[in-house]
Amino acid sequence: MLDINFMIEIFPRVLKASFLTVQISFLSLIFSALFGLLVSMIALTSGKLINVLIRCFVEFTRGVPQLVQISIIYFGLPYIGIYLNEFWTGVAALSFIGTGYTIEIFRNAVLNLEKGQNEAGKILGLNKFQILIYILYPQIIKRSLPPITNELINVIKASALLSVISVNELTKIMNDVIFEYFVVIETLIEATVMYLIIISFLLAASRYFERKLVV
Amino acid sequence: MVEVFPRLLPGLWVTIKVSFISLFFAFFIGLFFGTINSVFSKFNPFNLVTRFYVWFVLCTPIIIQIYAAYLLLPKAGIHLDVFWVGVIVLTFNSAGYQTETSRASISSIPKGQYEAAKTLGMNFFNTMFFIILPQAIKRMLPATANEASHLIKASAILSVIALSELHKSAINLQGNSYKFIELLALQAILYLPLVLGTSYIASYLQRNKDDSSNINLAK
Repeated sequence: MLDINFMIEIFPRVLKASFLTVQISFLSLIFSALFGLLVSMIALTSGKLINVLIRCFVEFTRGVPQLVQISIIYFGLPYIGIYLNEFWTGVAALSFIGTGYTIEIFRNAVLNLEKGQNEAGKILGLNKFQILIYILYPQIIKRSLPPITNELINVIKASALLSVISVNELTKIMNDVIFEYFVVIETLIEATVMYLIIISFLLAASRYFERKLVV
Repeated sequence: MVEVFPRLLPGLWVTIKVSFISLFFAFFIGLFFGTINSVFSKFNPFNLVTRFYVWFVLCTPIIIQIYAAYLLLPKAGIHLDVFWVGVIVLTFNSAGYQTETSRASISSIPKGQYEAAKTLGMNFFNTMFFIILPQAIKRMLPATANEASHLIKASAILSVIALSELHKSAINLQGNSYKFIELLALQAILYLPLVLGTSYIASYLQRNKDDSSNINLAK
């Protein structure tokens, strides 16, 4: 049967690791939301060439496996002279992956708004950026909350991949414990339950936002 | 880059094989579970089991599922080649998602179809096989093509259990040659057309969906 004492013994380590997982995911989500806002603003206001470049970036983050993107960041940042520790490399990698998705979320949210809003702003004499910042973005923040929560779930799932670049998050700790004590089933169950709790909670939150906020 | 390119091609082939075999199995398992899910009532034990399974797949990262299968299958006395372990995990993962899509597309078939079948004197299996499922599968196709691109991306994670697919063979070459950036670029070049191609097929099917799946009574 399951070794309950062992599960209690490793629980502090697992808990600490899950906090790190949540921390990395939230930080990356914040960064990718900020970059997403900024880049979607650029995409909506500028010409064709820049849009094509942004399109290429989005297709790249969607088309290349997340694991490959993580190794690209892991090997690529030192290559161009940026040295970060594992934690911030992880954050950089997840933000890079997430930005591709958040750009699309914000851009589509703006494009789904009514066209009249844009025209009304123009008549009031606002320029493109002012229209975006004062009129369009305040409206889309509410609408993009459910897809952003979904994106957070994706980021948490992707953060499990950071174990391959030795960030001490939940999956890495799970692996370490398994190969320290050779107790497989208990450790796997504990780590899985942690993920289930975190992600189920977020899934419920996203469903709640969807019901409450979308008009 | 040109020199190592041929040495990545076997890896690419393994990636394609593992993804599409899993897609094939997962399609039928998902269809089966989805049918169960949409046909039985909400609190039927079958239904509860499939709901729980879908929830489990959606709420755990795939890397955990991979480790679990890799470590637990031998404990259960099943010794398989690492390729088949990969197929099992990807099938397990993708069947969860495909259960959702098939459930959604089966429940999107209008009720009149069931009633018409009943009037024709068809029993349950005949109704399902000849009336409902052919229409539902047509509606599922775009989501299935999307799932193919997900699976290709997920197959890169199988490198952690040393399946020598594209990512793993690139890692091995990196260890030999220390040409990290070149090999990463090469991987991106090989993965991009695969994934974007399948998702392009998905959006193509999506666009053409409306005129193919609706029954035209005027005909």
